[in-house]
Amino acid sequence: MSEATQSSAAVNVAPVRFSPRRVWTLAYATMTQLMRMKILPFLLLFCVLVAAMGFGFSTINPEQQLSQFKTMSLGVLQVFSIVFGIVATALLLPKDLDDRTLYTILSKPVPRFDYLLGKLLGVLMLIASGLVIIDAVLSLILWLQQSMLFDAAVSQLHSEKQDTPEAVAQMREIVARQGLTWNLHWAVWAIFLKAAVVTTVALLLSCIASSTLFTIVIAFCITIIGHGHAMIREFVLQPNLSSASVRIASFLLAAICPDLAQFDVVDSVANGEVIPWTAVYEMTGIAALYMTVYLFVTHLVFVEKEL
Amino acid sequence: MSDTPAVSVNHLTKVFKGSLGKGAFRAVHDVSLTVKPGEVYGLIGPNGSGKSTTMKVILGLLNATEGDTRIFGIPSTEVASRRSVGFLPENPYFYKHLNGRETLHFYGKLCGMTGDHLKSRAEEMLALTGLEDAATRRVGGFSKGMLQRLGLAQALIHEPQLLVLDEPTAGVDPSGSRIIRDLIIEFRSRGITVLVTSHLLEQMQEVCDRVGIMAHGRMVREGRLDELIAVENQTEMVLENASPDLLAKINALVKAEGGGTRLLRSGHPRTTLERLFLEATNEPKKP
Repeated sequence: MSEATQSSAAVNVAPVRFSPRRVWTLAYATMTQLMRMKILPFLLLFCVLVAAMGFGFSTINPEQQLSQFKTMSLGVLQVFSIVFGIVATALLLPKDLDDRTLYTILSKPVPRFDYLLGKLLGVLMLIASGLVIIDAVLSLILWLQQSMLFDAAVSQLHSEKQDTPEAVAQMREIVARQGLTWNLHWAVWAIFLKAAVVTTVALLLSCIASSTLFTIVIAFCITIIGHGHAMIREFVLQPNLSSASVRIASFLLAAICPDLAQFDVVDSVANGEVIPWTAVYEMTGIAALYMTVYLFVTHLVFVEKEL
Repeated sequence: MSDTPAVSVNHLTKVFKGSLGKGAFRAVHDVSLTVKPGEVYGLIGPNGSGKSTTMKVILGLLNATEGDTRIFGIPSTEVASRRSVGFLPENPYFYKHLNGRETLHFYGKLCGMTGDHLKSRAEEMLALTGLEDAATRRVGGFSKGMLQRLGLAQALIHEPQLLVLDEPTAGVDPSGSRIIRDLIIEFRSRGITVLVTSHLLEQMQEVCDRVGIMAHGRMVREGRLDELIAVENQTEMVLENASPDLLAKINALVKAEGGGTRLLRSGHPRTTLERLFLEATNEPKKP
């Protein structure tokens, strides 16, 4: 085994470094791969549903009508983005492994972190693209509805002989507050951030689990628990908790699951409350922190994964 | 050419941990092999003999439990070792929504290739593997043989010095299989080192310079193919225009005969790689 011994001498080679271009190549391929999974018809269906909802509440006052429209459409959008993020991510890695595409990719000079980041970015890019389209559709419908409702309300005031300048201005103010404002876009941004955090959790789970179903089920459980994070924290911190094991288990649960309630601004937006810039920065920072931590752990798991 | 082996596997052992009550499984046991630059090395063995596991460790897809593997002197655990490797897995699939050319561009970009260099290299690989006509066809519509050839093209896109082929002719019809065999010979003529596994022993015999035969996770034979298949205790005589009578008396008369009958060659007759394989893999399992 002289040659083998010879070869064991250290060879100095330049390491393969992180490459944004490589990550982009993987992200773009992932995005197009997902688009081929017939995701666009679902997006179209969602837009039709939103449009139908937008003109579906005609018996209530303008303020409530706009508020309900925002609550329902943003709620559905939130569910849609989370479900898509979890399912798409849970399918991607096992599919690449089954098709041996993972072997052909990782047998090239591709660091596993680049692969992971590319996959994650691909899913997030598609979610972001979908949200941008739906945000545009929502904005258009809300603007149309706002104009129609204002005109209808002014006509009603006129017919009731109550169309004083003060009453019209008040009506304008109510409709404008509940209509198209930057708050709608911030709500969509918060939905994206929440979906991004959940998608990163799903990526971690798909690296650990050997079953797609397990990944999907556990990711949904974590999402549900994540929405009740504050309750778990309160439970852990209550002074009269007798069982140490329950406290430890709850603490671990709180540590593992992200606090998804941090991104819940839909109700505030539906109520016409203004979302301050600081809240947007805070949400973005929290999401970035969660994603960095989960991605780091995912990398630690994936780099040791036997393929 | 450098003295550094293209592949060196040094006392490799791979144990898969058991899960949920299942015991650990030793897939590869103390295997060593060396592939020299420029040669075609065949790794053969029955299913479950540890060939694919050995290949995956060489490619850094699995971690060795004991021992080490290197590619051109660089440990397989380093991503940099993959700069000089192209890999074709068994029955590969590619992203179905891409066409042949886009697939090669995708893999080329992963290797850091860009611009005209990538485009010309992709065209060259499509021509080499005979896929020029399928360059714009979706991979989802490719036949098995075409997928294998596309797999070869992607493996070669970044001009690797070493090609690792896992069952390159699996599921391919005889003509497709012959095309792949001819390509391996072409790679050797271009100075590319090839490490290949296959169940088609006749083809392996045609293309391999050296072979290693694995059984039960161990290397049971290794060496130059012509040496391995030589039968030491027999002598071969090749006669021209010999009559049946002459054949009966040949051993005694051949030196005395003259005229039109000539002893053309004498030496060690060869068995077939297939027979050697069956003998080697049917030997009792070592403890």
